[in-house]
Amino acid sequence: MAKIAIDPITRIEGHLRIEAQVDGGKVTDAWSSGTMWRGIELILKGRDPRDCWALTSRI
Amino acid sequence: MSEIKDDADSIWTDLAKKGVSRRDFIKFCSTMAATLALPSSFVPRIVEALEKKQKPYAVWLEFQDCAGDSESMLRATAPTIAEVVLDVISLEYHETIMAGSGRQAEKALHDVVKNQKGKYIAIVEGSIPLKDGGIYCTIGGRTALDMAKEVCGNAAMTLAVGSCASWGGISSAKPNPTGAVGVGKAVPGITYVNLPGCPMNVENVTATIVHYLTFGSLPALDSEQRPLFAHGKIIHNNCERRPHFDAGQFVRKWGDEGHRKGWCLYEMGCKGPEAHFNCPTIRWNGGTSWPVQAGHPCFACASTDNWDQFGSIYSRLQNVPGAGYQTTADKIGVTVAAVAAAGVAAHAVIRATKGKSEKEEKE
Repeated sequence: MAKIAIDPITRIEGHLRIEAQVDGGKVTDAWSSGTMWRGIELILKGRDPRDCWALTSRI
Repeated sequence: MSEIKDDADSIWTDLAKKGVSRRDFIKFCSTMAATLALPSSFVPRIVEALEKKQKPYAVWLEFQDCAGDSESMLRATAPTIAEVVLDVISLEYHETIMAGSGRQAEKALHDVVKNQKGKYIAIVEGSIPLKDGGIYCTIGGRTALDMAKEVCGNAAMTLAVGSCASWGGISSAKPNPTGAVGVGKAVPGITYVNLPGCPMNVENVTATIVHYLTFGSLPALDSEQRPLFAHGKIIHNNCERRPHFDAGQFVRKWGDEGHRKGWCLYEMGCKGPEAHFNCPTIRWNGGTSWPVQAGHPCFACASTDNWDQFGSIYSRLQNVPGAGYQTTADKIGVTVAAVAAAGVAAHAVIRATKGKSEKEEKE
């Protein structure tokens, strides 16, 4: 039984880490983590609703 | 991309091998001189530099970003060379487009930092979170701050591309939940240029690199570390809709007559009078258009704290600096319109008087 981790996962937008449990050449369990957070939801709170497209389109 | 080769080819030799014609190469150099606001007499110097110099190594770091600046770079169409940035630099590490993942990717980055110490260009996209020990952005188990310190600290220069890397951008908008800052603030003491914009304009980034290759120095910078050639002028002063502002012709509602006719967007919230950027002259997508040309007000994407300092994107700017005195854009517009009207009236009076006197003479 071995646990492998691939970080960074490339050729995607954003930051991703994948961990996998490998048992006899088979993946028996896996975990993914987004490793970046900006809190866009908190930034949007209280703003003019008309501005929200400009912020959320940049996620 | 994952291993470093000693490539003896100069930038021009490399471009020629890829099928770029001499004519296109000279055209590219001329465009770069124009972007840098240099007279055409500098074109031979740029040509000479790119004929002699090898591609500098570069690594592209992405932190708290949306990859919009990478998209902007990949969509470079002008000047004539499709992969302009990729051809002028040797990009060894870029998470979104590189082939290797995980350890392979980390090795590529490590090799450049180690083997090209003090010689490579670090390009940073995205802000760096400082709050809670920097845990809000990690790559390969390391924080963005830790990576930036090592990679930017050992680079010949750092280019902070886009507003997030320059001053925090969207991530730093109130209440800035992760304590996001730009790279210059996160890693004090490094040699860097801010190339803000949401996204950055690839032509300005390329021109900065070409300036560095040609003159061995950074272009002249403003107080916010932005190149003056790109951020030395106010959008409002170079805007194609400016004559409508001066004439008091404003868009007042989306889709109204003025909007259809391309009138001034000031009343719809345009921040052009406060924004320093070369959008009106350089434009986007290979010089096709830019936001104001497309009918949307400028929201000063390259100005520090633009998401908070101006209110809403659609709220009208209250005070617009005039020629050496403070007044409102409304007043300037109305005054100019009034002067123009007075001129027309005076002309009419003169004509009328003249006509009358001519008439009298005849009688």
